[in-house]
Amino acid sequence: MNTASKPRALRRDLVHALPVIAALAALSLLLPWLHVPAPEGADFARKGINLLLFDRGILRLVPLAVGAALALLLGLSLLGRASRWSVRALVAAFALAVMGGIYTLLTAKVTADASGLMPQPFLIKHLQIGCWAFLLLSLAGLVAALMALRQPATYVVLTAMAVVWLLPILWLLITSLRAEAGAYTPYIIPKGWTLENYTRLFTDTAQFNFPRWYLNTLWVAVITCLVTTTLVLMVAYTLSRLRFPSRRTFLNLGLVIAMFPGFMSMIAVYHILKAVGLAKSLVSLILVYSGSGVLGYTIAKGFFDTIPRSLDEAALIDGASKNTVFWKIILPSSRPIVVYTAITAFIAPWVDFIFVSVIMKDDYANYTVALGLFRMLEREHIYQYFTRFCAGAVLVAIPITLLFIRIQKFYVEGVTGGAVKG
Amino acid sequence: MTGLTAARRKAKARKGIFRELYETFRDGDAGTRLSFLVMGFGSLVKGQVIKGLLYLASQALLVWYLAGFAWQYLRKLGTLGDVGMQRVWSEERQIFVRTPGDNSLLILLFSVLSIMVVLGFLALWRANIRSAYRAQRLKQQGKRLPTFADDIKSMLDERFHLSMLTMPSLMVVAFTLLPTIFMILLAFTNFDQAHQPPGNMFTWVGLDNFRNLFGGHPLIANTFGKVFGWTMAWAVLATFTNYLLGMVVAIMINNKGIKLKAMWRTIFVVTIAVPQFVSLMLMSQILHDQGPLNALLKQFGFIEQSIPFLTDTATARLTILVVNLWVGIPYTMLITSGILMNIPKDLYESASIDGASPARMFFSITLPYMLFVTTPYLITAFVGNINNFNVIFLLTRGGPMVTEYYQAGKTDLLVTWLYRLTVDRQDYSLASTIGIFVFVISAGLSLLVFNLSGSSRREEEFQ
Repeated sequence: MNTASKPRALRRDLVHALPVIAALAALSLLLPWLHVPAPEGADFARKGINLLLFDRGILRLVPLAVGAALALLLGLSLLGRASRWSVRALVAAFALAVMGGIYTLLTAKVTADASGLMPQPFLIKHLQIGCWAFLLLSLAGLVAALMALRQPATYVVLTAMAVVWLLPILWLLITSLRAEAGAYTPYIIPKGWTLENYTRLFTDTAQFNFPRWYLNTLWVAVITCLVTTTLVLMVAYTLSRLRFPSRRTFLNLGLVIAMFPGFMSMIAVYHILKAVGLAKSLVSLILVYSGSGVLGYTIAKGFFDTIPRSLDEAALIDGASKNTVFWKIILPSSRPIVVYTAITAFIAPWVDFIFVSVIMKDDYANYTVALGLFRMLEREHIYQYFTRFCAGAVLVAIPITLLFIRIQKFYVEGVTGGAVKG
Repeated sequence: MTGLTAARRKAKARKGIFRELYETFRDGDAGTRLSFLVMGFGSLVKGQVIKGLLYLASQALLVWYLAGFAWQYLRKLGTLGDVGMQRVWSEERQIFVRTPGDNSLLILLFSVLSIMVVLGFLALWRANIRSAYRAQRLKQQGKRLPTFADDIKSMLDERFHLSMLTMPSLMVVAFTLLPTIFMILLAFTNFDQAHQPPGNMFTWVGLDNFRNLFGGHPLIANTFGKVFGWTMAWAVLATFTNYLLGMVVAIMINNKGIKLKAMWRTIFVVTIAVPQFVSLMLMSQILHDQGPLNALLKQFGFIEQSIPFLTDTATARLTILVVNLWVGIPYTMLITSGILMNIPKDLYESASIDGASPARMFFSITLPYMLFVTTPYLITAFVGNINNFNVIFLLTRGGPMVTEYYQAGKTDLLVTWLYRLTVDRQDYSLASTIGIFVFVISAGLSLLVFNLSGSSRREEEFQ
């Protein structure tokens, strides 16, 4: 542990490998130029130069060239005397080279197309081989340089994963700002930027009344949150704290009922609601969400189980009723679980689209945002509404993301249950 | 003190309800005995007027409910309706008018409801007898009887559980229990597209649906077998890939040398927080045959033809598994992070002194420990994957559809098949049968977890 504060020595064996890797990477860039099929061969030199000079082709190669040059330069300098700083600079250089390699690899075809070399399948194939080799070697160099510094090389993997995980979300954001309509575009960066998708969600309400749905959902979510939280706390407290004859029965029944797939009962719920004249109304949504939310009492119960019983016993001896114990002792010490319960109950109506679709059918006015957005992606609407769907999705995702980040700790405890107490 | 009452309670519970009722009747005075017939009578004669009247009112309400509403449905429960839609001569209007026949759906629904109401009433009836008997005993001992105000007060104390559980129980009964029982019963009827109330009636068919599912109807049975096979394969693969890779990510982030741990974690948590219907629908757009991913791959020159990510059986199944990794790894990462930090450090230290490689340490220390601690979570996740509606429905809708299947596609799970059967085909009876089957698997596994985790047995430990 003490060594952590001291600068740790470089791993010399790896340091010596670095220049070799860098040199190999730089050499692999020449791979496409090594061999050219005979007939066009004579022409190649000119076209090869074209490749670098055409249109934006040279621009595409800039990061690659910079990365390679840096790596090579530093690699060579390491042959002399390596310091921590030079290896650190090498990490940056290799990282740059990796990015340049990816960029070049992705644009290789475009570049070759524009340079007029496309009829030569050989070159395009080998150009990519060169790029791949460069990319992989730069990655190897990056890993080796990190290891030489005694830094975890997993940074590379984590960064790659972070990109994969964030790209779809980034794409959602970008698409929500895209000016052109259409669902399937062969490019990622929009041709034009606009905020209109957001404004039109709220102004163009003839077919898809987004503001109305948003208010519907908000209303349902707030009431559901209040009702569910109250009910869940009642059940959790009772089953955790009170001892009464049918307690076991309740516990087992709750366990079994919660295991039935909800889909099975949806249709029946619809008919029940219809029979009492509540189908297609927001009240029915509140009832259904609260009714199914109650069964999520186990997490709160687990929390109550951990509050020392001596607390309530002392109060009971002092003559407090169980009602008072609940309000004065249990509730104040369970703020986190109240927040957790409330937030999960609040989120449910925002993310459910199945129950709503069964209950509301085609009653557009009473849709919630989730179902409304879902409808926007139906075949006949998707072309016109896709960008607006993205804007709407962003507006739903932002509050939920913020709320979720707040409760993630309890989420973990909830999922793992009492079995995995930390 | 508490131990004593608990023991007495246990003894009482062991006696059984009927024996208790019999003994009450044997020992009861006239008031108590009459309470068996007229609810609240015992309370009334002993001066507990409000309580007695409430019991009486509830009895009157039940009679009114049964006679005025429930009976017309209950008496047809055996056949689920015998009068179809008819044309009847109307004297008064001098024309034939259509009379609505019996609605099998409502008959079944309200019968179930009424039976539950009656069961609830029986509980109330028993409470009434107990209360009468208690009042009688108190009077015999010369003690003061509890007034109505006392009873209200006891609802906030000794019988606090009653006041607390009534509302939630009613909600669960109305929106979960009742519908579930109703749907279970549907599995024993022929409620399908050809028998749609109110126009047509359906009736009991016994175990026909189960027979069809398990071989009686070749097409359905074949589909069921294949869909079930894929469901299980999916659940196993999805659970384990997510579990292992998620844990690897958690280990990477937890690594001592990694800086900005919170940032890495948040990056992954953000993808959990974005509602699944948003991220998955987005994925299905990205992976569409004409979607951006295919377009870009073509543009970059990696492929010539679109990859049928979601429309070819094998590719679609693979795609779903991969997308599920995207969805699931952050969850596993989040959940395993905390547990990983609890693994005793000295295990690793002694292993590294012995010269064990990181891979060796993962398989010999981390994995066994994690498997031991997270088995319940793993089984819960497995059950969750059997019922993983969102990923399948939002990505492929169960497709690609094939004619060799009965209303199902190659990536359909039992639950998405069930959904399609109910929503698109109104084939409720078959869907319910599948639902029961899914329930048996899920419940079996969940009960296993419940016993394994022992959280039920250990719940007192913390208090």
